[in-house]
Amino acid sequence: MQLLKDTYQQQAMLAEYCRDGIVPELKGVKAENLHHYRRLVFNIASDALETCYPITHSFLPKEVWEKLVYDYFAEHKCKTSQVWRMPMEFYDYCVKKDIAGQLGHYFLNDLLYVEWLELDVHTMEDIPYPSFTTKGDWFTNKIAINPEYKLIKLTYPVHTTAPTSLAGKEGTFFLLIYREKESGNVQFMDLSMLYTYILEQIANGELLKDVLEEANNLFQINDILLLKEHAEKFITDLQQRQFVLGFLK
Amino acid sequence: MSKQYTGIGFRKDFAEELLSSTVLKPSFIEMAPENWIGMGGYWKKVLDKAAEKFPITCHGLSLSIGSPDEVDVEFVKQVKKFLKQYNVKVYSEHLSYSKCDNAHLYDLLPIPFRQDAVKHIVQRIKQVQDILEMPIALENVSYYTPVAAEMNEVEFISAIVKESGCNMLLDVNNVYVNSFNHQYDPKEFIKKLPLDHVAYIHMAGHEQISDTVIIDTHGQAVIDQVFELFDYTVGLVKPVPVLLERDFNIPELEELQGEITRMDNIIAKKWQIADAIA
Ligand SMILES: [Fe+2]
Repeated sequence: MQLLKDTYQQQAMLAEYCRDGIVPELKGVKAENLHHYRRLVFNIASDALETCYPITHSFLPKEVWEKLVYDYFAEHKCKTSQVWRMPMEFYDYCVKKDIAGQLGHYFLNDLLYVEWLELDVHTMEDIPYPSFTTKGDWFTNKIAINPEYKLIKLTYPVHTTAPTSLAGKEGTFFLLIYREKESGNVQFMDLSMLYTYILEQIANGELLKDVLEEANNLFQINDILLLKEHAEKFITDLQQRQFVLGFLK
Repeated sequence: MSKQYTGIGFRKDFAEELLSSTVLKPSFIEMAPENWIGMGGYWKKVLDKAAEKFPITCHGLSLSIGSPDEVDVEFVKQVKKFLKQYNVKVYSEHLSYSKCDNAHLYDLLPIPFRQDAVKHIVQRIKQVQDILEMPIALENVSYYTPVAAEMNEVEFISAIVKESGCNMLLDVNNVYVNSFNHQYDPKEFIKKLPLDHVAYIHMAGHEQISDTVIIDTHGQAVIDQVFELFDYTVGLVKPVPVLLERDFNIPELEELQGEITRMDNIIAKKWQIADAIA
């Protein structure tokens, strides 16, 4: 490396200062102007986080949010070169540090995750759609689905309930988050465990009739006709919502 | 007939408006590859529409050419792919650093104006250009304090440009901002730059926040003194693409077009008809 140790140290100290706000002893600076760097850098990071996490930001008291963002930016080294993806690292940081436990807001991990995924699904790279036809039989033909989705399991219903009402609401919740092809809008859909199972199997390329037979035993439904009736409604509903596309060619 | 040389920074805040506008008519658009690489969905569609309508130049944010860290080769390769995909002929970056000790800061920090930093950066420029297989243009940035300087700004920039042979993006507003903040004569400064390397020009607005400090915000209209400095600069360099940067506080598009027209009128007086971004 051509760079002298002293030059590196000066650069590192300025960068460190922008992250933690603790004024360093730098050579030959206009001390009265240094704070602009801390302010400008920190604002960019905190704006990116507020944009990605509007619900968490407005739920947490101002000083709690500010301390969290401060600690994150000081302690964590942002890895992505794309600032709009940086909020994902904030989510990881909060999970690793157990911020939810520290604050006693046990739903916080789920809330941050869903807020991040809304942005992530909106912006994620296009995934090629399968070629499909709209003619076929739901039970005996392979079903084509929109590939731009995430299917997640939550402990708190953060997608339906305000943060102020989430305490004590723990359970098991399944959520489908997908992107509509034409509009690019992100849609959320609550799913039961049964429908989550069906969707996962269809996505794996299983035939609906086989999936339903398995589900009939697995969930001890013991009424295959009733199950078929409900499953068909579920699939056609998903088709109207632009999630199920039709049948794989 | 005079050729239009002027483009505008492509921002999501007015992207859709620009695509359907009959008022704002830039001859090209500039974007930060970091804001678009790997993006799908709605914004990818907007980007593709923009690419159909306008030639694109790229102005990066995260290369961090002045960083003590190793060059992020994977990142440069991603940029290269993006440039190729959108047929981008001009890629510029900032003569600053935005990453240190493997932490991205997402803003532009001043490099110590020192000889060892010059050598270090020259080597990095060559490495980046080798990967990209095209020249890069580096921009003089606004700064609010020097850090551990052992030479002045113009010596530092000139040494890097001359020793690396890279192109220069001359940001006229940044010269103005720095000349105010650090009390030098902006015209004298420009005259001393390696002007034969200038391949691109930026114009922008700024905000004066005190008697002694201007912040380079890109959030205001370009002031008369910067237009005057632009007029002076255009008289000294060969025809190159010129870009209006407006990142915040976006006004009516008529106002942006007004600034572009004013730049075009200055250019028309001084430059021969030539194809600036061909
Ligand atoms: Fe600029």
